[in-house]
Amino acid sequence: MKSAVEEWLDTCIEKLRRGELTETVLRDGVAVLGLQKQLLLYLYSKSTNLRSPLGGWAFYDVTAPEKPVLPSQEVPYTSVLDAVRDGWRIVQFPRPELHNFSDVDNAYLGFEFILEKFV
Amino acid sequence: MIHVEPTLNDSQIMRFIHNGYITLEGIINPDFNRECESVSTGHLSDFVRTGECRRNLLLHREVAGVARSLLGENFIVPTSAHHHLFEAAHPGQTWHSDGLTERGYGITHLQCYYYPKAVKIEDGPTMILPGSHHRLVDREAIAHYGDILGQLSLTVPAGTVAMTRYGIWHKAGPKLNSDRRGMIKFSYYRTAMPKRDWARDSDEIPSYRHAGRHLYVTEVESYRNRRRGELTWRWLCGVAEVEEPIPPLQLFNTGIPLSEIQL
Repeated sequence: MKSAVEEWLDTCIEKLRRGELTETVLRDGVAVLGLQKQLLLYLYSKSTNLRSPLGGWAFYDVTAPEKPVLPSQEVPYTSVLDAVRDGWRIVQFPRPELHNFSDVDNAYLGFEFILEKFV
Repeated sequence: MIHVEPTLNDSQIMRFIHNGYITLEGIINPDFNRECESVSTGHLSDFVRTGECRRNLLLHREVAGVARSLLGENFIVPTSAHHHLFEAAHPGQTWHSDGLTERGYGITHLQCYYYPKAVKIEDGPTMILPGSHHRLVDREAIAHYGDILGQLSLTVPAGTVAMTRYGIWHKAGPKLNSDRRGMIKFSYYRTAMPKRDWARDSDEIPSYRHAGRHLYVTEVESYRNRRRGELTWRWLCGVAEVEEPIPPLQLFNTGIPLSEIQL
């Protein structure tokens, strides 16, 4: 999926080749930046190491229609690093000091990385 | 008192401790299933107290056998239930455990899901997360969770009963069609401290056997599950070192002891 910025850039290149690139077209880029939509990806890593395998994930895509999607057991990436390699940017790292340490009690899924991508 | 034979053995009890659920597929009489398909939605009371419901479902040999195995001889039989009925397509519920997750090692409460009709993946089956029954969380704080490795969609034949540890994480899965998908939920409770009186193979108490790591679980979490499993096992066996009373009052506890029921 091409982002709004990539589409705008394609348009600019095309207009440049045709000799139609103008200041107005370039200034439109500012508006395009405002049209970008944020996608969010939650990844639950088995440790704080970015190469660790994942135990869970959630994808929030505001560009997709709101309709039911069947559950999946196929991890979208093999690790957080794998997602970063694909263009996702980490906006929240898990904080180990916020995880209670106990000999018997488990609670929330750990370790939660939140990533974003703009389209 | 109505005699109910325990049906689980040591290995099956240990598996329940580890997974937090057991499913009894297609065990309920098809005629009773058909009747339950048209039961009203929401809270059920009168229907649950009928001899027919008790004979066909609540005291069904296999269902009651599991309750007897995990909750002891004179367990509480439900007198109310809730019919969860979905028709329109929907994106699915968020992961949650019901009410307040119950702390402690003991097994004192079994929550059951009965499906009168077969459930396919498009019908928005109940999803459960095996092994999550000890994870004490605020349900609103896990509402953003999505897919979790090892999650299970209960696509089951008609007449199936899933019996779960109360705290297990679950949700109605995404529903793609507008077919009716019903589930009747009810609970059994313990009334007496436990002893190892299920279908055991010998009098010697075997050591707890940890069944391994659920797919979503980290290494240290797995060690905790093993430790907790051992404590639950020893509590169920009545080993004195694990002292923990039965909670005096449990949320939504309705029902009457088996000894007070006459069919």
